[in-house]
Amino acid sequence: MENNDCFEIRHLNFSYGNKQIFRDLNLSLPQGKITTILGGNGCGKSTLFQILTKNLKATGGKIFLNGQQLDQIGLKQFARKVAIVHQNNTAPGDILVEQLVAYGRIPFSYLGKAESRENDEKMIERAMKITGITSLRKKTVYALSGGQRQRVWIAMALAQGTKVLFLDEPTTFLDVRYQLQILRLVRQLNEKLGMTIIMVLHDINQAVNYSDEIVALSPQGDLVAQGVPEDVISKPVLKRVYGVELETVEAQEHRIVLTI
Amino acid sequence: MRHTVKVRSAGMFCVSFGVLATALLFLFFAAVNTGSIHLGIAQLWNGLFVEYDPDVAAVYDLRFPRILISLMAGATLAAAGTLFQAVLRNPLADPGILGVASGAEFAAVLATALVPQLYSFVPAFSFLGGILAFVVVYRLAWTGSLSPLRIILLGVAVQSLFGGLSAAFGATSSGTTSTVASIVNGNITMKTWQDVRILAFFSLLGLILAIVCSRWCNLLALEDKTVRGLGIQVDKVRMLVSLIAVFLVSGCTAIVGTVSFLGLIAPHIGRIIVGSDHRKLIPFTMLLGAFCFLLADTLGRSIAYPYEISASIIMSVAGGIAFVILLQRSGMIHGK
Repeated sequence: MENNDCFEIRHLNFSYGNKQIFRDLNLSLPQGKITTILGGNGCGKSTLFQILTKNLKATGGKIFLNGQQLDQIGLKQFARKVAIVHQNNTAPGDILVEQLVAYGRIPFSYLGKAESRENDEKMIERAMKITGITSLRKKTVYALSGGQRQRVWIAMALAQGTKVLFLDEPTTFLDVRYQLQILRLVRQLNEKLGMTIIMVLHDINQAVNYSDEIVALSPQGDLVAQGVPEDVISKPVLKRVYGVELETVEAQEHRIVLTI
Repeated sequence: MRHTVKVRSAGMFCVSFGVLATALLFLFFAAVNTGSIHLGIAQLWNGLFVEYDPDVAAVYDLRFPRILISLMAGATLAAAGTLFQAVLRNPLADPGILGVASGAEFAAVLATALVPQLYSFVPAFSFLGGILAFVVVYRLAWTGSLSPLRIILLGVAVQSLFGGLSAAFGATSSGTTSTVASIVNGNITMKTWQDVRILAFFSLLGLILAIVCSRWCNLLALEDKTVRGLGIQVDKVRMLVSLIAVFLVSGCTAIVGTVSFLGLIAPHIGRIIVGSDHRKLIPFTMLLGAFCFLLADTLGRSIAYPYEISASIIMSVAGGIAFVILLQRSGMIHGK
């Protein structure tokens, strides 16, 4: 591939009924990096997430995944290239961790060969090892803490063995210890496995700290800025994205936004 | 350590399955022997397979059809309830409550009264009626997503509409066609081997389909977007499983009429005993449903002997009580 973009979004339009969310949005999301989509409530960052993960259909424009048009990739084919961890996941309380992680192999399940089963096992073990949940494998989901559950969902996505991973607000509803655990895991996935990560985050400082690239959307669904966090996070950009004046300070080689 | 849990849960499943199957076998013999004629196992065996025995022949013609129908209807309704609960992700879903059963019943009543020569195809008509009722409830309840409460309320409305229509139709034609009345009243006293064959065709087909789709039912317990993310067209899966569930209910309703609560209670009890994995839950619930229905029918035959109380009446009394107990119980769990 001559260009280094994972997703290319060209002239994207989207509306819910009469409510237009995106008007001619153009955007490229780089390969092999951690990209975070930032924006206020209702700016359409979740909508963008759902469009890129084929849960919603764009009303206009084109989206390319590694040069291939998104709506021409079948769901199963897509699930072999892109794994997604959604928000508010539910599972039956009595399902075992390893059973849930094994669901990640479903996109490959109709190959029906013995070696593919062996490969499935390998991928499931690997996913549990990376996320540090191997010792929890025989526990029921019901018995897990919020942070452990989130890691199980990430493990299920990793079992798909994709190059691209989407995460929709992976730290919401977790206390700060688990938030950091999850974000460090995400960084590891990117650095050690070279995965392309695309996520939506609420916390600006976490986005600054754990992303290579930030995409900031205005409340109208327009692209305000895109680039490395240090370039993007500035008073005027924050004002346009969130509609409030926020001070920033430099500490420990990081720019920190004062959100109080 | 790693394997003990798995082995134990698989073991638990086998034990509960075995216990239930044995109980069902005993119940079967009790049912065969309930009434004025009593048969030993040896006499039954001889009469069925060796030589003619007038007592065995009478039991074969009168009791066997209703016993087999009870077994199949119970298994079918319980499986249908399990599928509906999976599809709608709603533990309150029941073919009776959803209006599907009464839609199927009304179509069966119409077909029986208007084209009696097509008797063997009545389940096909009731399938159409069941689908109609289900589509109406599903469409009206759909507001961007499915609200469990709306489904239940609309189901109650559709249920009472079709139930009333069937009752009205039954009242005006019961003098001439007793089959219509038997469907409306859920009475299986006068069922024949012909009914057994019709029900066997529809329910065996449906039960096999239900077992085949158990993996899908497991997936439907996850969020739709999660399932889609695994490459599954979740809307199609949901529609297919719904169709199978409606098919199960329809075949059964065409023969035995509307039976409430069985499709609700059996999966609940099944989940408590074998858990929510549908690969275990569906077969277990079938057996449990068969047991409950046959028990209801046999009790109905003996409680007020020589009068009979139909299985569907017993089911709605016992099922109503069981439902309240289950609600109390789950309330206590969530209240902790």
